Amino acid sequence: MIQKLLIANRGEIAVRIIRACRELGIETVAVYSEADAGSLHSELADQAVCIGPGPSTESYLNMERIMSAAMITGADAIHPGYGFLSENARFARLCERCHMIFVGPPSRVISGLGNKQAARNTMAAAGVPVIPGTDHPVTQVQEGLELAEEIGYPVIVKAVLGGGGKGMRVAYGKSEFENAFLTAQKEAQAAFGDGNMYIEHFVEHPRHIEFQILADAAGNVIHLGERDCSVQRKHQKMIEESPSPGVSPALREKMGEMAVRAAKAAEYVSAGTIEYLLEEDGRFYFMEMNTRIQVEHPVTEWVTGIDLIKEQLKIASGERLTIRQEDVHLNGHAIECRINAENPLKNFRPSPGYISTLHLPGGQGIRVDTGIYSGYQIPPYYDSMLAKLIVHAEDRAQAIAKMLSAMGEVIIGGVDTNVDYQFEILSNEDYQSGKVNVDFLKDHEIGGVKIEE
Amino acid sequence: MKNNHLFKSTVKYVPLGEKRESAPEVPEGLLRRCNACKSAVFVDEVKKGFYICPRCNNYFRVPAYSRLRRIADEGSFEEWDTDIAFSNPLHYRGYGEKIRELKEKTGLDEAVVTGKIRIDGEETVVGVMDGRFLMASMGEIVGEKIARAFERATREKLPVILFACSGGARMQEGIVSLMQMAKTSAAVKRHDEAGLLYISVLTDPTTGGVTASFAMLGDIILAEPGALIGFAGPRVIEQTIRQKLPKGFQRSEFLLEHGFVDAIVPREQLRDRLAELIRLHRYKKEAGKNQKSAGQNPVGEGMINEGRTAPKTGASAPMSAWEHVERARDKMRPVGHDYIESLFPGFVEFHGDRHFRDDPAVIGGVALFEGTPVTVIAQEKGRGTKGNIACNFGMVSPDGYRKAMRLVRQAEKFDRPVIFFVDTPGAFCGMEAEERGQGEAIARSLCDLFGVGVPLLSIVIGEGGSGGALAFAVADEVWMLEHSVYSVLSPEGFASILWKDGSRAREAAALMKLTARDLYGMEIVERVIPEPDGLGEVFSRETMDGVAGELKAGIAGFLERYRERDSESLLEHRYQRFRKF
Repeated sequence: MIQKLLIANRGEIAVRIIRACRELGIETVAVYSEADAGSLHSELADQAVCIGPGPSTESYLNMERIMSAAMITGADAIHPGYGFLSENARFARLCERCHMIFVGPPSRVISGLGNKQAARNTMAAAGVPVIPGTDHPVTQVQEGLELAEEIGYPVIVKAVLGGGGKGMRVAYGKSEFENAFLTAQKEAQAAFGDGNMYIEHFVEHPRHIEFQILADAAGNVIHLGERDCSVQRKHQKMIEESPSPGVSPALREKMGEMAVRAAKAAEYVSAGTIEYLLEEDGRFYFMEMNTRIQVEHPVTEWVTGIDLIKEQLKIASGERLTIRQEDVHLNGHAIECRINAENPLKNFRPSPGYISTLHLPGGQGIRVDTGIYSGYQIPPYYDSMLAKLIVHAEDRAQAIAKMLSAMGEVIIGGVDTNVDYQFEILSNEDYQSGKVNVDFLKDHEIGGVKIEE
Repeated sequence: MKNNHLFKSTVKYVPLGEKRESAPEVPEGLLRRCNACKSAVFVDEVKKGFYICPRCNNYFRVPAYSRLRRIADEGSFEEWDTDIAFSNPLHYRGYGEKIRELKEKTGLDEAVVTGKIRIDGEETVVGVMDGRFLMASMGEIVGEKIARAFERATREKLPVILFACSGGARMQEGIVSLMQMAKTSAAVKRHDEAGLLYISVLTDPTTGGVTASFAMLGDIILAEPGALIGFAGPRVIEQTIRQKLPKGFQRSEFLLEHGFVDAIVPREQLRDRLAELIRLHRYKKEAGKNQKSAGQNPVGEGMINEGRTAPKTGASAPMSAWEHVERARDKMRPVGHDYIESLFPGFVEFHGDRHFRDDPAVIGGVALFEGTPVTVIAQEKGRGTKGNIACNFGMVSPDGYRKAMRLVRQAEKFDRPVIFFVDTPGAFCGMEAEERGQGEAIARSLCDLFGVGVPLLSIVIGEGGSGGALAFAVADEVWMLEHSVYSVLSPEGFASILWKDGSRAREAAALMKLTARDLYGMEIVERVIPEPDGLGEVFSRETMDGVAGELKAGIAGFLERYRERDSESLLEHRYQRFRKF
């Protein structure tokens, strides 16, 4: 078993990992930047090492300094948390070469899954559904028309060299295709000087559904059900829950099986997440696999009763999974809301500053994961998430009621937060009835705020 | 590191278990400390890349063969002269052993690797020095390999690229190593006289006898950023003068500012830049062209008149001379670099006079004009107040004239026509300018331009002020933009000298005959280029398309007219052109 763990991260996730270690009796080493002196994670760890100035390139992204801190303190393992170096294959490789346990998958797995095209090919070969599309660039509208027919409408035509929405058009049927293709191609030609196009099935208003995976080095893989992360603003998740109101037990079984298959195809080890897009008609497509612990892991922990960080540490120590798939049951309903220091009325502008007063909720079925405290100064260098509020109740309606009650108790003085905005989402009728997809915040006006594309 | 007791520490009860086979440790050679920023960097990545510190961008020294791999087309390297016998002229103890050891350790046979490569298809002789071998000091074998490389390049009519990196002469070989400086310089001279291109690339460090011989003799001298380049090492200088040297002293940027380096090129761009430069110099003198074929082109009025084009009479109201002066000085008017950008895409700038300084009031370099390599030299006023100040308002210093003449001589060597752009209120009147011989610099330009056997064209685009302008206008043809002016002195100066009243400039301007039309009438210029003349239309870089088009066609015509002239008839024509005044 790991003897001493260095946590190469900050904020709530560092605190979360340290707590797991304290329970397991593993000594901890925190690293912190000059801007994070006095932060909760650096105080709570048994040892703390300052690794450089505030900007993350100088500290939390600086692998040489982090490795030096690990060597100096005699740590035998590094947990990267999420963000920063967590999905950096070079860092994982560095750990491997230094005989340092990296709490995560092997570096080759990270790089394999980090390459979107390669990952898609691996999954397609393993029989995991991927979004159907052309496997070569198309330049002729006639050929495109035939391929679109095979792919199935609606389709989206994309410039091979595309970006920023240029050279992209959707066609809902055969009659629209020619126009869409030629317009997109013309735009692409003008913008990128290249008329090579891809055609792909257009996944309209999908839910973002992801499956939690645990895999050990012996090749045992299980899934811990799904999380529905459809409430998101510009790909930033805001509310996550488990189970999803859009996934039936039968669908869960199917998607879960595919998720296990996907993890096996990638030769995955550690905790990981398979991201899917789920269409209203129940068709789902593999998007990508995240090779780290995720922000929203607590909702899975609560419905399954499994401590994901502890499982990660055990797997990293070489232990086998002791949980079998048939032991996994989703009990009740869990919801997580991310509380950020940002002002939704000012285009979600980050609001770093001094937290003058703080009251966080507690009680039965309520969990708060955070690194802030009263008198805490939020540094301007990092993301704006202050806390995660997680609730658990018997069913979704009761969970929402609990979340509303808990959210209503939150007081964070001194900085702007999205608490009121989250409260409005939770109060929205469509949200409450579970009618949610990734465009929810674009299609609904929440507290006077509507998210533009 | 800190340990605190705010919270109770972890109750440790993890069983120690069996000891892990391999305790964490950083394997030997995985990381190395950057000597500049002191951060640890991955050796593998640095070697796979360009030997640059990923943190602070510090340049590490590149082993010779790695350098070649990054510069040469794959498989194109053919190594020369690896079998030169070692001798120990001073019978210096342990020297032979040291050399043997180094050979084994580095895989090199001496401190320089020479041979032939292709860069992006362009064949060239190459030499790369390797600092791992006794600090790439120059002894007999190094000198011999370099001399042979130049000799063979001369025979095979190939350019030479040399990557210099050296501590200087090799002390272990005494006077023999000193002689290498002369020997290599002699080989460079012959290569130069054969009209062949030599590009010297200075890398960190280039010092001592190597700087004082072949390294500083390139037709084009490039440097890597931040390289130490000098004759005496900084420590020696500090000991001699008993002073601390300022930061940046003897670095590439310092040399650029002081006129000894044409350009500083980041390592990642070196290959492309070298290929481009070779391509620009690939055009050989065509057979027979430079032979003195007297009588082929009769010299005289006829030829001069050929280029003479009467100015079109514009529809606009006639302008006073003073209005011309105001237009010529207008802040919106396109300046030297605007013409370079619009007429010479792919222009490669060369800096420095090789004596004292790089004058920012002069921009010079090479470009392809419709497939023909030309040298372009422009007086530059700069844009906006900041730009004006940086370029000293187009007032050229002695260093500017010397830079221009250096580039003209280079143009002659490579048989390129030269196109001058004139836009100066006059040569710089300052103490420093006098100290460095402003008068001598202008005089030398005027005189030497009469001996340059390639076509010269000069275009006055704004102010043609006095001798400062003339030093850029001793040419086979001189053209003026419609509202540019060209005069012996500014109207203010003229009024102040003749009437002791500088405020009567307007009156003076009317008398001076300084407009393009007047000067065309006096046969001072051959051609007047019309400017946009619409009501309220300001002549600026945005509205210069018409003028640029006219110039483009005009320059093409000029090159066509002079293409076949041999140098003797050119010089005679130029002589007569000015003799008549």
